[in-house]
Amino acid sequence: MDVLALEAKKADIVEPEKKAAPRPKPKAPKKAKRIVYFEVEIVDLKTKEKLLLLDKVEPTATVLDIKALFHKSYPKWYPARQSLRLDPKAKCLKDEDILQTLPVGTTASFYFSDLGPQLTWGTVFLAECAGPLIIYLMFYFRLPFIYSPKYDFTSSKHWVVHLACICHSFHYIKRILETLFVHRISHGTMPLKNIFKNCGYYWSTAAWMAYYINHPLYTTPYYGQQQVNAGLYIFLFCQIGNFSIHVALRNLKIPGSKTKKIPYPTKNPFTWIFWLVSCPNYTYEVGSWIGFTVMTQCVPVAFFTLVAFIQMTVWAKGKHRSYLKEFRDYPTLRSSILPFIL
Amino acid sequence: MSAAASGTSKAAHGDVAAKRKKGPGALATAYLVIYNVVMTAGWLVIAVGLVRAYLARGSYHGLYYSIEKPLKFFQTGAVLEILHCAVGIVPSSVVLTGFQVMSRVFLTWAVTHSVREVQSEDSVLLFVTAWTVTEIIRYSFYTFSLLNHLPYLIKWARYTFFIVLYPMGVTGELLTIYAALPYVQKTGLYSVTLPNKYNFSFDYYTFLILIMISYIPLFPQLYFHMIRQRKKVLGHIEDYGKVE
Repeated sequence: MDVLALEAKKADIVEPEKKAAPRPKPKAPKKAKRIVYFEVEIVDLKTKEKLLLLDKVEPTATVLDIKALFHKSYPKWYPARQSLRLDPKAKCLKDEDILQTLPVGTTASFYFSDLGPQLTWGTVFLAECAGPLIIYLMFYFRLPFIYSPKYDFTSSKHWVVHLACICHSFHYIKRILETLFVHRISHGTMPLKNIFKNCGYYWSTAAWMAYYINHPLYTTPYYGQQQVNAGLYIFLFCQIGNFSIHVALRNLKIPGSKTKKIPYPTKNPFTWIFWLVSCPNYTYEVGSWIGFTVMTQCVPVAFFTLVAFIQMTVWAKGKHRSYLKEFRDYPTLRSSILPFIL
Repeated sequence: MSAAASGTSKAAHGDVAAKRKKGPGALATAYLVIYNVVMTAGWLVIAVGLVRAYLARGSYHGLYYSIEKPLKFFQTGAVLEILHCAVGIVPSSVVLTGFQVMSRVFLTWAVTHSVREVQSEDSVLLFVTAWTVTEIIRYSFYTFSLLNHLPYLIKWARYTFFIVLYPMGVTGELLTIYAALPYVQKTGLYSVTLPNKYNFSFDYYTFLILIMISYIPLFPQLYFHMIRQRKKVLGHIEDYGKVE
């Protein structure tokens, strides 16, 4: 403390000397650096018709800013609906791309194409998950016109059928709650037509599975209660694992930021699979459906599991590739979805 | 600056395109040539078989029996085309090729082979004839393309004959499936009923009806795609001819 006080005093003593020193002549004020503004022309990709000419666009403007300016002139095309590219055959520009970093001169031509009506990913996820939940319950309660009239509103005599309904409902309720409270979706929107494709797939497969599991002629698994229990344990284990991974991934993302980090295992043992796999959320998801297949011993469920596995492998491989490209120090031991295999 | 920059980017795009357009390696090309030659020869055998049987019988009824074995063999051999796409030695869509090949394999085995009563139908001859002509042209087109010596006649035939052959083949296929329906319903062929330990049922009769319905959206798509291809491939040549 005393030393600090002494140093402060020294500084006080030295200060007047500094003040006494002759002041340097003030330099002539520099001419303010002239900003080179850009002229941006937006052309329709199909018709090659000039839609808009923006002069005096700041060089630091992002593609999103240009989209916003374009939206002012054409209110029906909101930014998420716009696709801008520098060449008709080039890739779409990202919203974060800055004008001055793009390979263009001071006059830039952007090719515009309409992506069609857009929906937020959250909306799509909710529609995807709410459908199977409701559809499955319709079959579980055996609503009229599904099975023959004598079975309307009857209940199955097999305990596994009720257990399957609980598990299926739990899975989709979990997914809905995760969409609402856990996921931080980095993607903005997706085309409206995708909702029909995605929902069509999820809803029809849910109906297909539910029809057979809740069928009056349903046969219980070959190995009885042991098989049901094994399937249930696998299912629950993987559901907890899947949730743990989603929480870990959420904590990795800073709200509003697009910076990416390498996901690493946390104190939660369910996240330790991160040492071996890039997308353990998919690993656990597939595991859940394998458990459900074992529990119900139903071919449509097995088919759904197989298709889901193929699709998730494609996603996981893509994610794994992007991790490897983005991070030089990415752990080499990791696979995409199955440890040491895929 | 702008020109240079855009020039660079275009050059880069060009490189990518060149890389993509680069065909299969020498070994793969040799294999594909052999495969396409064998398939062309196979379908020629079927064509000759049909003509010989017709001349011998003096009637086109029941000609299927004379070419049954080679038809099954060479139509099943087309499954390798899916493999070629999957491996990447042929730059076509695996899904699209898979659909086209499997629909024919399905018709050969799951309908014509499985429902014996259908084999004497004239509709079978209709699609077999359409397939035979189509495949001879198609495989010879691929062979010559791989050898970089494609005669204009084969190119023209490849993109013209389909105008008649596609509807003819589809008509034959649909009529054959329709003819098979009563026999499938009566015998319960390939159908699985509940209860069973797999908790799954399958009605082949309904499945065949769904297959027939699927032709409604799929056939026009394929047909008009081929017409667009024809315009793209033959259009400029014909325009040039008109100018001269």
